[in-house]
Amino acid sequence: MTATVSLLKAVTGNRLADGEVVFWGEGGWRERFPDASLFADPADADAALDAAKADPTVIVDPYIIDVRLDGEFPVPTSFRERVRALGPTTHLDMGKQAEGGPILEAIAAASGAARSAGRSNLIKKR
Amino acid sequence: MYRYDAFDAEMLQDRTAEFTDQVRRRVAGDMTEDQFKPLRLMNGLYMQLHAYMLRVAIPYGTLSGAQLRRLGHVARTWDRGFGHFTTRTNIQLNWIKLKDAPAILESMAEVGLHAIQTSGNCIRNITADPYAGANAEEVDDPRVWVEAMRQWSTFHPEFSYLPRKFKIAIGAAPNDRTAARIYDIGMKMRRARDGKLGFEVMVGGGLGRTPYLGPTIREFLPAEHLLSYMTAIMRVYNRHGRRDNIHKARIKILVASLGAEEFARQVETEWEALDKAAIDVPEAEIARIRASFASPAFKTLPAINDAVEALKAASRPFAQFVKHNVLAHKVPGYVIVNVSLKAPGEVPGDCTSDQMDAIADLAERYGFDETRVHFDQNLILPHVALEDLPAVYEGLRAIGLATPNIGLTSDIIACPGLDYCALANARAIPVAQEIATRFADMEVAEDIGELRIKISGCINACGHHHVGHIGILGVDKKGEEFYQVSLGGSGLEDARLGDIIGPAIAGPKVTDAIEALINTYKKERTTGERFVDTYRRVGLAPFKAAVYAEAH
Ligand code: SF4
Repeated sequence: MTATVSLLKAVTGNRLADGEVVFWGEGGWRERFPDASLFADPADADAALDAAKADPTVIVDPYIIDVRLDGEFPVPTSFRERVRALGPTTHLDMGKQAEGGPILEAIAAASGAARSAGRSNLIKKR
Repeated sequence: MYRYDAFDAEMLQDRTAEFTDQVRRRVAGDMTEDQFKPLRLMNGLYMQLHAYMLRVAIPYGTLSGAQLRRLGHVARTWDRGFGHFTTRTNIQLNWIKLKDAPAILESMAEVGLHAIQTSGNCIRNITADPYAGANAEEVDDPRVWVEAMRQWSTFHPEFSYLPRKFKIAIGAAPNDRTAARIYDIGMKMRRARDGKLGFEVMVGGGLGRTPYLGPTIREFLPAEHLLSYMTAIMRVYNRHGRRDNIHKARIKILVASLGAEEFARQVETEWEALDKAAIDVPEAEIARIRASFASPAFKTLPAINDAVEALKAASRPFAQFVKHNVLAHKVPGYVIVNVSLKAPGEVPGDCTSDQMDAIADLAERYGFDETRVHFDQNLILPHVALEDLPAVYEGLRAIGLATPNIGLTSDIIACPGLDYCALANARAIPVAQEIATRFADMEVAEDIGELRIKISGCINACGHHHVGHIGILGVDKKGEEFYQVSLGGSGLEDARLGDIIGPAIAGPKVTDAIEALINTYKKERTTGERFVDTYRRVGLAPFKAAVYAEAH
């Protein structure tokens, strides 16, 4: 099965005031991954990241993540980013997974993982 | 129990006011994240995967009922109604909002709680034997000395910007209950032949990428010179520690590269040159601190309680609880009660606000208002009268905390791992939950006996995997969660680093691998021999063969 063809990009970070995981989307930062803007052209993702960095009182350390399509649903390729998009796997009532929906279900069902820029940036920074 | 004095209270108020202003300036854009981050970390506030995490210090792992209840209140009001006790005997709250942090710090300060010394390259919150003051074999109450060190090390200007973080533990008895050898400085209280009180000093232990057990650099340090000798160690480290390379900056690397003997020589030279009298704590101050740790007003009670004996005979679960979770106390008629936060299937070390309230009630009612945190991520009621044991057991059972599994297979240490931690490679909690559930049956668990499984989600080793009888380390192998298994480790008086058994194992196969290891132990053991001792006697081969049999 070749479900994972197109590689897309999204921009994410944690919100300064409350630490909430947010994604760059239509009209600004959105709390739900299904509302994230997906960029087929990496240059567009870079531009969104630059815009995010220009607003440092809203977001802490924004970065770009890879997103693939599992069937029709966008899913972060990295396991770490899937956990961020959903919430802890040990508390299904916590985090964004609680509200459900087809995209979140697709993320929860996804397997395979890749390294996240979020983690490598963090380690570099330390 | 030590109560913070007016000086401490003022310090906490100042600190909260200062951080409140720093948060305001950060949110207003007057400070960048790079400027703000070290300041928020100094107040215990980390950014994790889903939110900020607040790490609260629990000096020498001791909490009063009011403090534990306040932690429950903070978790209920500003978090999701639970907290996570760590291997450093601190507590972490996982869902904190930056904008609430000032109010949280203010609330905690009212009961003498804070997040100082929980982050940054300073001397971190110091841990002590969790059975301090309760255990017959202790040489002295280590909290007296740790409290003196807390006062000395808090905001110590010379030691606030060390090459790297710095962790100290003090054990109180020949049996180590702090894992002293895996600390930057580990100490063990001792008495010299002439009865003088002192410490064995071990320096340069640590886990992580390059694990070491700390060698002893001084067999006996007279207790009154604790602070001057610590100062000498810190100075040698501060001068020669590798500030140029974060992976080589811990004192363990310095000690290993100089050799323990040369390191000790430099410390002794430094120490000789110090004005000891100006640094060491005056006897009167030690006496003042000691008075605050005076034994509670224990009653004279019979060492055997008929009602307890009768209940043991009538109730199997109670008898199991007594056998595994209850220990002898230094005073006849009293016991130490270990409260397991490891009910199989639950998250190791997690405790809900309601549970915290209930334990606080039990401590106040039956335990001289004291609770302790053990580095195994369990809690302790250190002073319970034997005659109150049935009531305490009932109280714990009512809140799901009477699991009689201390030291058994399901009493697993697990770090937060990839479910919360921004540095993780793989999850740790679900691995622990699956193993604990598989070995939950008491008959099975009792047959296996003492087995310490420790799990970390990355090489930083917060879950102490190097020193587990079975250690499990999460790794990222071509993008999948894999786990490297090691055997034979211990952080206690039989300290040893574990041996890696072979290639990492895929996540879904880990519990089967653990079962294969346990079956091998059952086959190889002699009567009464613990898992770790069997492993150390027979070696890797049969264990390895059992785990990888499938692959051949
Ligand atoms: S061991 Fe790694 S994954 Fe676990 S808490 Fe520590 S840093 Fe996080």
